[in-house]
Amino acid sequence: MAYPYRHEKETLVLSECFGDPSARTVAGWKRVGGYQGIARALEIGREATIEDVKASGLRGRGGAGFPTGLKWSFMPKNSSRPHYLLCNADESEPGTFKDREIMRWTPHQLIEGCLVGSYAIGASHCYIYLRGEFFETTQVMARALEEAYAEGLVGKDILGSGVDIDITLHVGAGAYICGEETGLMNSLEGRRGEPRIKPPFPAAVGAFGMPSTINNVETLCATAHIARHGGEWYRQWGTDKSPGTKLFCVSGHVNKPGNYEFPLGFPMMELIDDVCGGMRDGRALKAVIPGGSSVPIMSADDCRACSLCYEGVEAAGSMLGCASVIVMDETTDIVKQVRRMAHFYAHESCGQCTPCREGTTWATRILQRIEDGRGTEDDLDTLVQISEQMTGTTICVLSDSLAMPIISSIEKFREDYLALIRRGERVGAA
Amino acid sequence: MSEIQFRNPGWAGNTGEFDLTEADVRGTDYVGETQLDGGHPSVSASLPYMLVEKNPEAPLFEGPYQERFEKIRSRYPTARAALLPALNLAQELRGHISPATMDEVAELLGLSNAYVRGVATFYTMYNKRPVGRFLIQVCTNISCNICGADEVLAAFLEHTGTEPGETSSDGNFTVVEAECLAACGFPTCVQINSRYFEDVSAADVPAVLERLKSES
Repeated sequence: MAYPYRHEKETLVLSECFGDPSARTVAGWKRVGGYQGIARALEIGREATIEDVKASGLRGRGGAGFPTGLKWSFMPKNSSRPHYLLCNADESEPGTFKDREIMRWTPHQLIEGCLVGSYAIGASHCYIYLRGEFFETTQVMARALEEAYAEGLVGKDILGSGVDIDITLHVGAGAYICGEETGLMNSLEGRRGEPRIKPPFPAAVGAFGMPSTINNVETLCATAHIARHGGEWYRQWGTDKSPGTKLFCVSGHVNKPGNYEFPLGFPMMELIDDVCGGMRDGRALKAVIPGGSSVPIMSADDCRACSLCYEGVEAAGSMLGCASVIVMDETTDIVKQVRRMAHFYAHESCGQCTPCREGTTWATRILQRIEDGRGTEDDLDTLVQISEQMTGTTICVLSDSLAMPIISSIEKFREDYLALIRRGERVGAA
Repeated sequence: MSEIQFRNPGWAGNTGEFDLTEADVRGTDYVGETQLDGGHPSVSASLPYMLVEKNPEAPLFEGPYQERFEKIRSRYPTARAALLPALNLAQELRGHISPATMDEVAELLGLSNAYVRGVATFYTMYNKRPVGRFLIQVCTNISCNICGADEVLAAFLEHTGTEPGETSSDGNFTVVEAECLAACGFPTCVQINSRYFEDVSAADVPAVLERLKSES
């Protein structure tokens, strides 16, 4: 069920036990069918488990939407080198708060997902990379993992199968860029979290130089359910290109913000107007960022016919990302918010690539100047030009992630910028 | 609904749709006592490392902390990989990571001083300077910002009488602006040492500070 609000239309797969503290224990998780997924995976074998995940059509929930089964199949089959599964729990995309809920309410769901993933790719060790700020969440995960070891669910000879899988919690130290897969690997190895040039891809040379696969928390949790019920079962929800259910993190100016689980393809306006209780104080919708701050901003008109699946949001001119829906009403000052996002990316740039290191800071300064009423119309052209030079020119996509909100906001909310530049008038207060 | 002891701010969830206590939401009953020696090696790197009481002179590492450090090392194929957990452990004890602490950690792991300084300065959570007993990190990123995070930050600064990053004269509070804390549905989110305070508004700030004072 959703947390902290419920809605009758929800489809509960991952979030069934949100808000139920009794589901945190091994016994509580088993009561709702937990650990049957790994048991079935061990029974049907590695290849069949990967085939199940392929058949389910599950796409990575960390933002990129890459098919999970396909990713798993890239791992070498007959290698004597150690393989690693890395779970990306470094949730820090602005607007996203689903992984924290999964881990604090259902830690065993993630542990089971890590077991299924590790078994499928032949990994004997899985590292869960948690963001450093998640002290409370980490404590819940730690207690659950100790419990799972004590019950023989993790460690040597899991469930009496002869398979050994260790899981280790690894805590980060505050860097957004460590959510990028190769940045995470460097950070895990005790280095600065700077992304690596690909190729080589992680399946060939990953963590500690060994074949590695990295999956998001929500992805791994979904694989636990797919392993239990089979791939076709998962396809009963969602669309052909976006099967399954997804947690939608709704934040901003709605009456009931929170996490809600729906099949992919759910209409955006129904999510905002019905499920989330409509706009705060009955105000009008101005803009939505549908996938965390790194995707293009949508105007209210773009949202009308948008359905929340990978292809649906793309058709509406943006990206689903990790389905973090940030809702903004008519009082929102778009220029201020884009400047705040730019400040974030400038702060989090690792500094390796010049277009990102210089571009994010330069863009922030220009946006601040406009916000302070000292901008010119030429500044808008400069911003677009910088943004274009920040797209596709760097090792990772952090600079692209700032370019998209800048370009889309100038395109769709040019009047807001011009009001500040020409008349010194702010549009909105929030 | 049970009687709400401490209404929001504190934790989201008392919306009337769940019957939960603060311990239920935070999971503190389930977690129980944490062990200084790190408990099971799989979780040794994950204990709280923002304590109220700090000792900048504490040794690296002795007694249960030494045990914990050894358990952490046993989980990685390289010595270098224990660097972040070792720095976390040093910060838990000392409250901040000084250049001298970086050098000590470098020696422990057989890494060069320059390398460890490069890594330690990359990450935001290592306090390069001493902070107050309570480090108050106010998220002002987009989801919190559109719901009034700037006012919450201003209220914390006003009521503690500090500038951003400065420690109050009684040594209790340091207030800083933070990037997204991944609690976007519960604006404004404020992290205070190891705890998240959710749904904090500017009007709630005096009550939050009172609560901290009563706990210290």
